[in-house]
Amino acid sequence: MGVGASSVVAPEGYGRGWGQTSLGDMPESCVAAVLLYLDPAEICQVACLNRAFRGAASADCIWAAKLPANYRYLAALAAAADDDDCGCDDAAEGSDGRCCSSAAIKKEIYERLCRPTPFDGGTKEFWIEKNKGGFCMSISSKAMSITGREDRRYWSHLSTEESRFHSVAYLQQIWWLEVGGEIDFCFPAGSYSLFFRLHLGRPHRRMGRRGHGSENIHGWDIKPTRFQLSTSDDQHTASESYLINPGRWILYHVGDFIISSSDEVTELKFSMMQIDCTHTKGGLCVDSVCIYPKDQGYEEDCIFCQKIL
Amino acid sequence: MAAAADSSGDGGTSSGEKTIVLVSSDNSARFEVREAAALLSQTVRRMIDEAGADASGDGITLPDVDAKTLAKVLEYCNKHAPASSSSSAAEAAPPAEGEEDLERFDREFVRVDMGTLYSLVTAASYLKIEGLLNLTCQTIADMIKGKTPEQIRKTLGITSEFTPEEEDEVRRENAWAF
Repeated sequence: MGVGASSVVAPEGYGRGWGQTSLGDMPESCVAAVLLYLDPAEICQVACLNRAFRGAASADCIWAAKLPANYRYLAALAAAADDDDCGCDDAAEGSDGRCCSSAAIKKEIYERLCRPTPFDGGTKEFWIEKNKGGFCMSISSKAMSITGREDRRYWSHLSTEESRFHSVAYLQQIWWLEVGGEIDFCFPAGSYSLFFRLHLGRPHRRMGRRGHGSENIHGWDIKPTRFQLSTSDDQHTASESYLINPGRWILYHVGDFIISSSDEVTELKFSMMQIDCTHTKGGLCVDSVCIYPKDQGYEEDCIFCQKIL
Repeated sequence: MAAAADSSGDGGTSSGEKTIVLVSSDNSARFEVREAAALLSQTVRRMIDEAGADASGDGITLPDVDAKTLAKVLEYCNKHAPASSSSSAAEAAPPAEGEEDLERFDREFVRVDMGTLYSLVTAASYLKIEGLLNLTCQTIADMIKGKTPEQIRKTLGITSEFTPEEEDEVRRENAWAF
């Protein structure tokens, strides 16, 4: 190795030769330094290896790096939602309530935030994606304004387990389709994509098999449906797409937006419209608007709408 | 104990560049290294600041780093140190070492047994050498990724002291991540 030390005799009592250091001799802070390079699933896997790993896997420094910048704010919302759920006054009671009290370690906070937190009367939910910690949100059609919603000739509600809100808005037929909504929230800084989660046809289960009724589907291939997204700091996207592929839930990608600060409230407005009154359209389920970290990779089919300049 | 030349072979004093003497924890070895190399360690930097300008005569003792580990650490520092500000032509080599050359060096550098790797992580952490800490931690992390628990135990040379009850408890605590 070319090292020029003049004397490398280990003195008595030192007890360790070259290559005899073991993992157990590495201070827990150093094990934690290694774990920083692993994903949450990997960290939780190695926690099961031995006591040193178990301890290091719970180190705050590791999970602090994975939590969103405004995790304290998100954790407080989660604690409030959990309190509402279990009806406890003391946040320290109950196995979930403790997770977001000030006594919780960061690993527990991360775990809790991976589970959805409902807000605004259960019409919206947020969570963090467990593999990378990216912030996600879903806004139910119940929270949106839908033109003609009250008129049973046009719109009705369908109970279905295929929505995280357990019900979706179903359109039989209409001339003027306009669905819109908005949200004010402190998003963690980053880049996000916004989608409308839609389904052509009426989903059902018969005799254990999943199918869909297509009797009302019409009008979506005549003119494209238009989508819009805007933020309070003047980011705008307009895009359009024909609605296709009956029988499947599809994420229609409206556009992207950037949040620069985790400490500021951003107002988002979004809408979908098809108001060409020369034709009717129908047979559509509107579940929700989904906001995911940009380029995350999605479990459902995704269609990228054409940007309108 | 005579002062030893640093591993790059050029005596610090002959080229006129400032050198620093680092001493291992057991006092068994002294290393004279270019200042630029030694200052890759934030800990050494702080010790020098605290000791003042003329304290380096005796060398700086590093109480937590043994001789063999220190030698290996300095091999890294010498390779990664920035070029000295004195522009003698003989000193032109580092780190005009291209990036590819450094990457190759790093890859070879971490091909050591686990015990050495652990010592390097510990030393890099104590000495606060960011590049070395990143390199060694990433190396161990890469040994963990994609392996089953049994494979990881074998590679890292660790045994579990968990009782069956403890094992169940840990598994339950962590099931949420899978």
